Amino acid sequence: MAQSGDPPRLRQYVAVRARLVGGGLVVGLLLGGLGMAGWTLYTGDARSSEATMFALGALVFGFGLLGWSGSILAGRGIEAMQEHMGTRRNWTERDSRRAMARLCGGGGGIMVGTSIVAALL
Amino acid sequence: MNWTQSLFRLVEPVVPPRFVIKRLLLLIPVLFGVASVVFAILHLAPGDPAIVIAGQRASAEQLEQIRVELGLRRPLWEQYLSFLWDAARFDFGQSYSISRGNSVRSVISDRLPITLELAIYGQAAGILLGLPLGIISAVKQDSLTDHVTRIGALTGISVPIFWSGPLLILLFSTYLDVFPTSGRIKSTLFLPDTWTLLGRELPLTGMITVDTILLGNTEAFLSAAHHLFLPAVVIGVYSTALISRMMRSSMLEVIRQDYIRTARAKGQGAKITLMKHGFRNALIPVVTVIGIQFGTLLGGAVLTETVFGINGMGLTIVDAISASDYPVVQGTVLTFALLFTLVNLFVDITYSYLDPRIQQ
Repeated sequence: MAQSGDPPRLRQYVAVRARLVGGGLVVGLLLGGLGMAGWTLYTGDARSSEATMFALGALVFGFGLLGWSGSILAGRGIEAMQEHMGTRRNWTERDSRRAMARLCGGGGGIMVGTSIVAALL
Repeated sequence: MNWTQSLFRLVEPVVPPRFVIKRLLLLIPVLFGVASVVFAILHLAPGDPAIVIAGQRASAEQLEQIRVELGLRRPLWEQYLSFLWDAARFDFGQSYSISRGNSVRSVISDRLPITLELAIYGQAAGILLGLPLGIISAVKQDSLTDHVTRIGALTGISVPIFWSGPLLILLFSTYLDVFPTSGRIKSTLFLPDTWTLLGRELPLTGMITVDTILLGNTEAFLSAAHHLFLPAVVIGVYSTALISRMMRSSMLEVIRQDYIRTARAKGQGAKITLMKHGFRNALIPVVTVIGIQFGTLLGGAVLTETVFGINGMGLTIVDAISASDYPVVQGTVLTFALLFTLVNLFVDITYSYLDPRIQQ
């Protein structure tokens, strides 16, 4: 039961998810920014570097999003199947969903980081 | 009462609306993810759309002008958001090369029914042959029938379409001259664009066997069925093999359950027990396979249409990739993804109907 001192449920709900995606986003921002700067220094072409880094970010983001929704759609089924077949490992729907959410954040971070550095260059 | 309420009232006893709505909402991130991956792959792939449009001999100024017109000089984030917005409205612009000047939407609406028709016939062959073969194989376990079915299924799974297709063309078209090698209908037959119902002109579906029935043209229908037979067999062989194998193993597991033994002990006939209690329960894992299989059939259509020269979505996507026609590639890939997710939604609903515990 919720105590009067507890943070509201909605805020807690959002905070947990924001922390999860935000962690990935920060890492992605750094990776995107540094990758964009490094790639531009290496090739000397900011436009093609932006295209490559942004597309890589979109790829990671898309993959994460597909994995996240796939985990929700089929995760419980896979868990049940593993249990049924006696091949249960440490894989769970919750872990998969969290990992994919972090990956999504990472991909989004790469896209944002790349765009910021591209605008500055 | 509006149509959505009527629909939910119709399916409510079978599947709770909340389950369907949750599944429908999950389609949004799936399609959003697919769109992002398509955008990324097309931007990472080599090739310049401006050169595709203007040709190799175009001047640098012409190429630059085309790039500006296409919006390729805008920042990537802007291009990405614009692409997502267009994808949400299913507006991918015009084809660069394979159907120059025509909208991608019209290219897809022309060719999707052709592929759907092929996939539906392939799937129908798979279900109609695979299920009875699997049941017979399970009931007559270790008999000659079972061995023949199992070897046939193993062969069907092992043989790829790019090999079985040309082989069947060689046997039935070149040597035996029983079926045509390519095309959808005899070249001397002509079909109009519309059909008439109660004095009203309506557009045809694009599925040639359906259209010939709607037009009441028996000769054209027979010709269409004749042309479609080999491609449907090629695409259906894998499906039949996989479904029969799944059905066999699922049925073998079910017929050893206590409730089957109890039903038999209470005096129920073997066939009734098998069909009433065994079939429905054995069908649960098979339904999942059928859903996934439909996606494979759509992928198989790429090969089948290329082998048989059928101008459907499969051949379109191959041509579009070869010609770097990015808008067509984006549109066709997203259409395939949408179809696949919708089929799986249908499978989920069927699955939860067969086993209501899934809804929990």
